Amino acid sequence: MEDEDLVFKALADPTRRLLLDRLFERDGMTLGELEAEVPELTRFGVMRHLGVLEQAGLVVTRKQGRYKHHYLNPVPIRLIYERWMDKYRARQAAALLDLKGQLEERR
Amino acid sequence: MTIPTEAGTSTQVYQLYINTAAEEVWRAITDPATVARFFFGQVCEATYEVGGHLRSWSPDRSKMWGDNVILECDPPRRLVHTWRSLYDPDMASEPDSRVTWEIEAQPGGFAKLTLIHDRLDDSPKTAASVRGWSYILSNLKTVVETGAALPPLM
Repeated sequence: MEDEDLVFKALADPTRRLLLDRLFERDGMTLGELEAEVPELTRFGVMRHLGVLEQAGLVVTRKQGRYKHHYLNPVPIRLIYERWMDKYRARQAAALLDLKGQLEERR
Repeated sequence: MTIPTEAGTSTQVYQLYINTAAEEVWRAITDPATVARFFFGQVCEATYEVGGHLRSWSPDRSKMWGDNVILECDPPRRLVHTWRSLYDPDMASEPDSRVTWEIEAQPGGFAKLTLIHDRLDDSPKTAASVRGWSYILSNLKTVVETGAALPPLM
């Protein structure tokens, strides 16, 4: 499978997006810590989803002593972003996202 | 139970595959002309040995962006240096953090590049700003694989 297919497949699942959200909030969690973040999943389920994310390059693991830490790797998403975003459109899109953020904050 | 660890939010990890040999990636990250093309046009000067300085300036050399020290140097596999963002006064007043470049040759002539930016515990502003590594590294990939540089980030 192409690298990009793996990324899209990994992101197409809400549980895997939730795991990425949790890592975005607190990067470097161990399996045990991630398990506690999604109590509705079994340990095996968390491991299976992390495996898919790791294969897609969205999660990178590093061993430190007894613990394996999981890090959110944003590079594959950046590469996909750059495929369709040129510099002019990126600026306009960023301005719109800022506007959206400001308007929604005010509510 | 949450076990506090040395890692956590104080560590950021970036990884990508580049379609070239490990030696070429090493050359790209240590050759000033190539660095300028993927790293905001910065001018850099370095002595690639332990204890050597890695200094960088704005493209017109009017502002110093970094004055870092090489902690480990093992071409073409591993380069470790200190990091302090001198281009911003708030970040410059935060303590040094650390950047590790790991290059691993892969089957098929690819190189796996992993960048670890850690020791960021007491440098929250720096930690937030260096999320831009994604941009730098994908730019590096483009420069090495196609010879073209991406347009500057606004």
